[in-house]
Amino acid sequence: MPKLNKFKIYIETGSNGIEEPARFCFNSHVLPLEDLSGGTKPGETLEGGYDINSVAHSMTLVGPEKGTWSVKKIKVDFEVENTPSYSVEYSAVELDETTELNIWKDPPLETFDV
Amino acid sequence: MNIITKIKNIFSEEVVDVEKLSQDDVVDDIKNITSEVDESNKPFSEPEPVIRQVIRVPALSDDIFPPNDENKVLIKAQPSGSSDQCLFMLNRPLFLDHSWWFPNFESAENSPLAERLFSLDDVASVLVNESTITVTRKDKNTYDWKPLASDVGIALRELLIEGGELISKKIISEMPSQDEIQEGIQKAINEEVNPGVAGHGGLITLEKIKGNTITIKMGGGCQGCSSADLTLKEGIHGSFRKFVPQIGAIFDETDHAAGLNPYF
Repeated sequence: MPKLNKFKIYIETGSNGIEEPARFCFNSHVLPLEDLSGGTKPGETLEGGYDINSVAHSMTLVGPEKGTWSVKKIKVDFEVENTPSYSVEYSAVELDETTELNIWKDPPLETFDV
Repeated sequence: MNIITKIKNIFSEEVVDVEKLSQDDVVDDIKNITSEVDESNKPFSEPEPVIRQVIRVPALSDDIFPPNDENKVLIKAQPSGSSDQCLFMLNRPLFLDHSWWFPNFESAENSPLAERLFSLDDVASVLVNESTITVTRKDKNTYDWKPLASDVGIALRELLIEGGELISKKIISEMPSQDEIQEGIQKAINEEVNPGVAGHGGLITLEKIKGNTITIKMGGGCQGCSSADLTLKEGIHGSFRKFVPQIGAIFDETDHAAGLNPYF
């Protein structure tokens, strides 16, 4: 399991926004995003992140406690120890009080042309 | 009279006649006090956390090959984390909608693609799956894939430029239907695989079939078990190929990080 130093996330909201703070779940611990800018109203993009400094087993974006959050697009920039930085993008998804979205992806394997 | 009131009375220097404290008074007071305890202040009475369903959407990936180079044979190599295998991705199909596993040189007969790859030193097995090839090497102590990968790249490029068939006609003509494959794999799961993993609380389910490529999910004690990969490669693969010899690639789509009760 790789050690995640920190990550930054960009969440573009679609037609349904949320009023409550966006939260993520790292290794079963629910935490608020930090260093926030932007918003989670329809059409807005929220930028946030967290200095994790811990081995990653799982990481999810937690759905709102009330209502539905329609997420149009998500981009996550990962900084993992001893690995070049990498980004992962996810397509549209709807989240509610019963769901969370997996946003963790292991560092990509080395690829070369032959 | 409430005990607390009586104690307060003591501290307020009022005289309390202890003799008058009947057993009924004490029982009533205890009932009153316990009913007044605020449930939210109990240290271990927090509500059970809600277990949410984890949604997985595929990551959007950029095309690995530039769109304007369709005439060139482009090949990318990606060694596995354990370095015993290397995935070769090509910008064209090799075996459309199907896959085939060549476990040894003998199995490569009349399949030029596999014959050419087995002619290279150190190739132990070859798995062709649509536009990818996974090569397993014999030498488990060598971690640098670049020399062998380069030879594989040259062989593949030469074959594709030459044209002609890549996979034996016999393999293609004798390919069972998807329904026959599904029936055989389900039989393998019911009769051999699941009874075998049941002792560890495991459960295998068939998730998807495309051509002769199948995807399974491991549940119960198998989900998150440290030996799941070994169980898959040494046990499940063998059972599936025994029941349906024409099976090609076998994928495991289990989210092992989400296992709640792994065997170990």
